[in-house]
Amino acid sequence: MTQQTHSFDRQKQPLTKVLGNYSFILIFLAILAVYLIINAGATTWSGVMNILRHSTVVGIMAFGMGLAIITGGIDLSVGSMLSLTGGMSVVVFNQTNSPLLTLLFALVFGLFLGSVNGILIGKVKMPPFIVTLATMMIYRSLAQYYLRAVERKSIYNMDGTLSQYQGFYDFGQSKLFDLIPMVGIILILVTVIMVFIATSTKYGRTIYAVGSNERAALLAGISVDWVRVSVYAITGVLCGLAAFIWLAMNGAVDPATLGRSNEMYAIAAVVIGGVSMSGGKGKLLGILFGAMSYNIIDKIIAAMRFDALINDTIKGLILLLAVLIQILIPALRSRFKKAGA
Amino acid sequence: MLHMTGITKAFYGVKVLDKVDLHVAPGEVHALLGENGAGKSTLMNILAGVYTRDAGQVIFMGNPLEHTTVRSAESAGIAFVHQELNLFNDLRVYENIFLRKEVTKALGILSKREMIEKTRALLTGLEVDINPTAMVSELDTGKKQLLEIAKALHAKAELFILDEPTTSLNSAEIEKLFATIRTLKAQGKSFIFISHKMQEIFEIADRYTVLRNGMLVASGDISEVTAPEVARMMVGNQYTDAGVYVQRQLGEVVLETKGLSGRGFHDIDFAARKGEIVGFTGLKGAGISEFFSTLFGALPITGGSLKVFGSTQSKHSVQKAMRGHLSMIAANRKENSIIPDFSLLENFYVSEHRLSKKKPLLKKSRELGRFRGHRESLSIKANTAFDMITSLSGGNQQKVILARWLNTGADILLMDNPTQGIDVGSKAEIYSLIQQLSLSGKTILFNTLEIPEIMKVADRCVVFYHGAIHSVLNRADISEERVMLAATNAIPKEEYQTP
Repeated sequence: MTQQTHSFDRQKQPLTKVLGNYSFILIFLAILAVYLIINAGATTWSGVMNILRHSTVVGIMAFGMGLAIITGGIDLSVGSMLSLTGGMSVVVFNQTNSPLLTLLFALVFGLFLGSVNGILIGKVKMPPFIVTLATMMIYRSLAQYYLRAVERKSIYNMDGTLSQYQGFYDFGQSKLFDLIPMVGIILILVTVIMVFIATSTKYGRTIYAVGSNERAALLAGISVDWVRVSVYAITGVLCGLAAFIWLAMNGAVDPATLGRSNEMYAIAAVVIGGVSMSGGKGKLLGILFGAMSYNIIDKIIAAMRFDALINDTIKGLILLLAVLIQILIPALRSRFKKAGA
Repeated sequence: MLHMTGITKAFYGVKVLDKVDLHVAPGEVHALLGENGAGKSTLMNILAGVYTRDAGQVIFMGNPLEHTTVRSAESAGIAFVHQELNLFNDLRVYENIFLRKEVTKALGILSKREMIEKTRALLTGLEVDINPTAMVSELDTGKKQLLEIAKALHAKAELFILDEPTTSLNSAEIEKLFATIRTLKAQGKSFIFISHKMQEIFEIADRYTVLRNGMLVASGDISEVTAPEVARMMVGNQYTDAGVYVQRQLGEVVLETKGLSGRGFHDIDFAARKGEIVGFTGLKGAGISEFFSTLFGALPITGGSLKVFGSTQSKHSVQKAMRGHLSMIAANRKENSIIPDFSLLENFYVSEHRLSKKKPLLKKSRELGRFRGHRESLSIKANTAFDMITSLSGGNQQKVILARWLNTGADILLMDNPTQGIDVGSKAEIYSLIQQLSLSGKTILFNTLEIPEIMKVADRCVVFYHGAIHSVLNRADISEERVMLAATNAIPKEEYQTP
């Protein structure tokens, strides 16, 4: 009996299934291998670490996108939230000369922008695609309008004469033990926290339940409305964090270009990470690898001295390939099963 | 007009129709009667070409129908008006009528005006007040039903099969439908009318045929029989197994409604005691599912009061119901209970987590420990707790859902059609579990269409008719015949004697 109970409580999975669940690592390793081969002699430690560093901003936002997609929704406004929060944060820093207050502002302001999305979607029950399409336009336009009408400038620039400026900017360039970029460590921390929330908290499971079967989730006692509000609010907070990191790395925000098409890259990172667009399934860990995979492609194109305009063609192809693999592995598995039986 | 003789049909070796005859004359409304599973639908599906018969003959308007398909039955003039209407909600009335038979001008341009005029003439002929250019989605159910008939008429139908057409209609709409039937009858069209409601049958039908367990029981003129006689013919003298029932001492009242009203039901006075098992039954659409959902907080209360364990529930919600130790196993397991991307364990713990969200962390060992206990007492059969719920049989899925609610510490269990889509063996298991749970002090209210299930375990039987309680029977008085008489309103509430 105890023997039986033990085996009942243990998870057994065939290798093909594990491979299918973690195909994002295979894709990442394959792309990384291509990069290392092309770059051959020129590969340096800091070159590889730059992959992590340059994946941070989109990667952090992609975790929010991942949550929204798991509930069966989408958030098209992430790039615009980045732009507006980033611009406003520059204003706050120039007023306060305090990186800490700037961080606090960025998180709270991001929470506000995300909550607007969340309430319209969760409580007013408007379709996520439409709501975030609208706020995508509104948030970016506000960022550009405020800059021209109030600030009367063409770009949000942090004031380099402030005493705290250098420290703030250095943080964005700093490395832990002279090895790992600080911003990369923040990305890894965010990954750890998000994976923990998704797999090891009761709240995390409700996100999946809502995306898997909304009606059953409701009748199981889950407050579906508030789960929806919360994922968009969290996405806003993550965009605030991403904006703060962008400032530390770059010191300025051009609201017209910052975060443009980032929603598409974030969606792609989520899909390559193996999260189902129909909601309810997928691992958040995959999003880290999805975001990094996309970043390596930039580096490969630069290393091969291709025109940067070919970039999206290759990214698009990789996306198709990733989805193809996700479809093929289960198909192969069921064929193996049949052959076995 | 229609002669079906010796129709036999088996599914997987089980005979569902055995040498059944059905004869319908021109200009006749023929009531086809029988309990759920008696073979009415199968017979109609054979006539409409959905199924093929194993043996027997069908002659329609003098021509034998062989190798019938849905299309050939339609072109022969047989129209099957289903319970779920086959209309396109996002198209207009005339577009539905002329779908795939559009009138066109040169170059394939639609001749809208002509179609609209013809639709208007058709509807006026039926004395039906529907605007030909209205969107179908704007019509109420009664009008949709009439539109469906008009559509069939336009396709030159001679025989209409109406499968429980009045289920979702109010009495004015039913009157309108009957008026249309009479108009068409006078033109020589025939109807096969499937319904459980005796009053309607006696109002509209000319002749009847009763089926039971796939066999022809009786056929004749409706004027020669009475409603109770028909009900008895439908039920027969069935042997029922009282099997698992145990007499118990019931406790205090734990659930009480006074004049409770909501969507689809009204003015319900009801009380259940600790440890009691109450079976609810009624025809489809009688309002029991809605009553259960309202008790559970999933639908709003529109009037009256609800007391759970002595405390009045004013602003009711699912979360409040759960905290009040109420739970509901919803009907349609696949849509309303199962979270398909979750494992057994995850499906098990979701609801309890709502009550224990103050401790936000998920501890797998704790959940596995809790699940182990329920798995053993409910004998859930699965390989591991991490198997996907969708890999289990219907019976085992339902047991996981039952475990989900027992895990919340619920004391009152509402079960809406708990044995739906479950094989016979698991059904018996579910009912003996219900019995066991009541012995441990749980109060169980269950809704079923199958009266023998109520006879197996229930202390009382509540029969709903048209959104209200028709009658309440004590265990000793529950019989299929009695319940059927009440559920079909063959004997109206006022005349029904509760012994």
